[in-house]
Amino acid sequence: MSRWKYFLQRLVLTVPILLLAMSIVFLIVRAGPLDPARAIVGMGNPAGYHDVAVDLGIERAVRVDGEVRYVDVPLWQQYVDFMAGLLTLDLGQSWVIYPETSVYEVIALRAPRTLWLGFWSVLIALFVGIPLGFYAGLNPNTWGDYTASFGGIVWRAMPNFWLAVILVAVLSNSQQLFGFSWQQLVVPTNVVTAPNLGFLTDPGMFLSDPGRAFNQLLGATKQILPAAIVLGSSSMGNEMRIGRTAVLETINSNYVETARAKGVSARSIVWKHVFRNALIPLIPIITAEAFLLIGGSVIVEYIFAINGLGQLFFTAATKGDLPLVGSLAFIFILLTLSLNVLQDFLYTIIDPRVGYEEN
Amino acid sequence: MTGTEHAVHRSLRTRIRENQRPAAVWVAVLLALVALEAGALVDLAVVLVQGMVKAWPFGNPGMAGIESAKAAAEAIPTLLSRETIPNQGWRTSANGPWTNTFLGLEPMVAWLLRFALTYAYVGVLIGWFLYGYRLYREHYRQADWTPTDDVVRRFRSHSWGKFGFVVVVVFVVMAVFAPTLSPALAEENIENPYSYEMQYFDEETGSVETVFVGQANSQSTSQGAGDDNIGLWQYDDFGRFHPFGTMPNGKDLFTFMMYGARVSLFIGLLSMGIMGAFATVFAMTTAYYKGLVDLAVVIVGDSVMSIPQLLLLILAMAVFNGHWLEGIYNGGLLIALVFGLSGWPGLWRAVRGPAFQVSTEEWVDAARSFGQRPSATMRKHMLPYVVGYLLVYASMTLGGVIIGTAALSFLGIGIDAPTPEWGRAVSLGQPFIATQSWHIAMIPGLLVVAVVTAFNALGDGIRDAIDPQSEGGESETTAAAAGGGGG
Repeated sequence: MSRWKYFLQRLVLTVPILLLAMSIVFLIVRAGPLDPARAIVGMGNPAGYHDVAVDLGIERAVRVDGEVRYVDVPLWQQYVDFMAGLLTLDLGQSWVIYPETSVYEVIALRAPRTLWLGFWSVLIALFVGIPLGFYAGLNPNTWGDYTASFGGIVWRAMPNFWLAVILVAVLSNSQQLFGFSWQQLVVPTNVVTAPNLGFLTDPGMFLSDPGRAFNQLLGATKQILPAAIVLGSSSMGNEMRIGRTAVLETINSNYVETARAKGVSARSIVWKHVFRNALIPLIPIITAEAFLLIGGSVIVEYIFAINGLGQLFFTAATKGDLPLVGSLAFIFILLTLSLNVLQDFLYTIIDPRVGYEEN
Repeated sequence: MTGTEHAVHRSLRTRIRENQRPAAVWVAVLLALVALEAGALVDLAVVLVQGMVKAWPFGNPGMAGIESAKAAAEAIPTLLSRETIPNQGWRTSANGPWTNTFLGLEPMVAWLLRFALTYAYVGVLIGWFLYGYRLYREHYRQADWTPTDDVVRRFRSHSWGKFGFVVVVVFVVMAVFAPTLSPALAEENIENPYSYEMQYFDEETGSVETVFVGQANSQSTSQGAGDDNIGLWQYDDFGRFHPFGTMPNGKDLFTFMMYGARVSLFIGLLSMGIMGAFATVFAMTTAYYKGLVDLAVVIVGDSVMSIPQLLLLILAMAVFNGHWLEGIYNGGLLIALVFGLSGWPGLWRAVRGPAFQVSTEEWVDAARSFGQRPSATMRKHMLPYVVGYLLVYASMTLGGVIIGTAALSFLGIGIDAPTPEWGRAVSLGQPFIATQSWHIAMIPGLLVVAVVTAFNALGDGIRDAIDPQSEGGESETTAAAAGGGGG
């Protein structure tokens, strides 16, 4: 099974990649021009500085002649500690944003909002981008195709931050612009605030108080939709373009021609032959989308005031909470790498061509 | 022309020496054309050097020399300059004639004339280069036909690609000729408005008054409510014309956009240079040696790619805050470096396929067995095949870099104020989008969309020109283009 061997190879490769990526983060966080301990305590607090530095493993307290002296820990020692800490999943604590709180607690607090946002943006991109692309591919060179294709190209070129800013302005003034208020639509919500995800952390609510729970679910969905559309925008454009090309390619392939000659119904051709094969080139786009979400969430969460992981990373970096930044980066890298593995796995299952090159 | 096959190969230089007239005429006209705008080009070069030296931590060697070079550049007579066609004048009486503008024209007309002439000049220049290529084909090229002819022909009939090319040229001209195209100088209007004075006709006192540019700015703000708005294509109370209106602080948005284009293009090109260099070297070596070398680059590239680019940028900007490296070009160099060092794996992956393909060709094998040095084989027999693809993906990635830079400036950690950057205009205009001052945030965004779309279109055009059968390569293209899409 050379296909599985290929997958196994990719899986093994993940280990050095993870180590190297973490080393890059270490270099920036620890060997960069910003002293992490200094960033935490600020200027002019020498006593506090040493405490933090010792805690972070940058300095070591040594007792000389009954007097405490602080000695720098060599960089390689710091590196070993840093890597060992992360690889044993000891993520340390936050210092500035949530002082004295373990990174796990911080992530547990923030992650649900980002996941909720990511879930919806993947969903929207998939359910809008792919059907539009397939439609354009099945009706090539019609006005519908041109509109969809051109729309996809422009949509993809729109900066997330700009789209988000415009969307916030439009929704906030929907009363004047469209004659109905977005805030009051279905469930009253604000345009920019984090959604209330109480129903996620306490699913029992659906049984004990279904009315409130469903209301919350509705409100949270409505609140996340604009942000999710922005975050999914570039992927939506990508999926559309790739979907269109893929459909065009399969529809002109020999086996579709044969099926048509045999008298297979048009509907069956589209669903059984074209659709399934056209999905293959979309796999990397869908996994790449999840990758884009991690970076894009910073911007979108910043503008829509959703205090999730992206915003946490941004404030942690700008406020000098470098230990938290390092741990978050580790999480993000883990996430990306598992997505890559997932992608290879899907390829191995779906695409029979994988692994053939090697022989 | 069957004789050419048997002709002895002669260098281009001998061919030109044998038939000097067309080349001489072409070069003479080109020199004349460049001389017309030499001042603007020297000025741009001086500005670039100045930005480099300004933040140098080890003393400021030759800062005085640069200042004098700048003065000298400004002294070079330039046809299409603010001095030849001035647009900043004032009325001498109510509704009276304008003084200090070109031929006494209205500031709007004077500026429009300068703007149009600059683009006309660039159009002529490009036309001259195309004419030069034709001359070369007619008089100096030995072969009647080369594959490049087909590439050029295909590109010429690719209207989407040509659209991209035109918009990209418009954008590059904005960056290169920013001081000429703007209604005001960035130095006077945006960076140090309280160091410069201007004159205007005051209706209340009925005389010509002198005021600091900064004071005039503070009375020409665009802040949505009430009378506080100078919108598109409007004059302010000081007789200044604002094609794109003013910003919330009264600075001219058009000037801001032109100089912002300079910053975006600089970062884009520099990061693309770094990415391109890495991608080329790695593509060549991995395709030539394969095996372990390839594996090593895969691992390094994948680990760089596993850190989301925008997060890396944010982290770098935070860590290098206040460092001297961050001072060069107001943070532009640092942004370009991070983009370059984190973006090459995408570019390399995109050209890895074509590089591997060419490495299996017989001529590469022949060169190898012939005993040619590997570096020469890569340069002469492999690189020419890959360069086109490199151009395609570089063009598409550049859009991502522009978006990423704007996103950082929007977040307030990119290019330091007051240096113009498009993203900052969006962030400044954000509170006023739903008011009459909508232009502040809308126009920069629309320009980004146009420029990024154009770079993508140009990339599409080049790809279809060099490789007409290459529909399938699209997935990699988008992966490359999506690099900066996190913004």
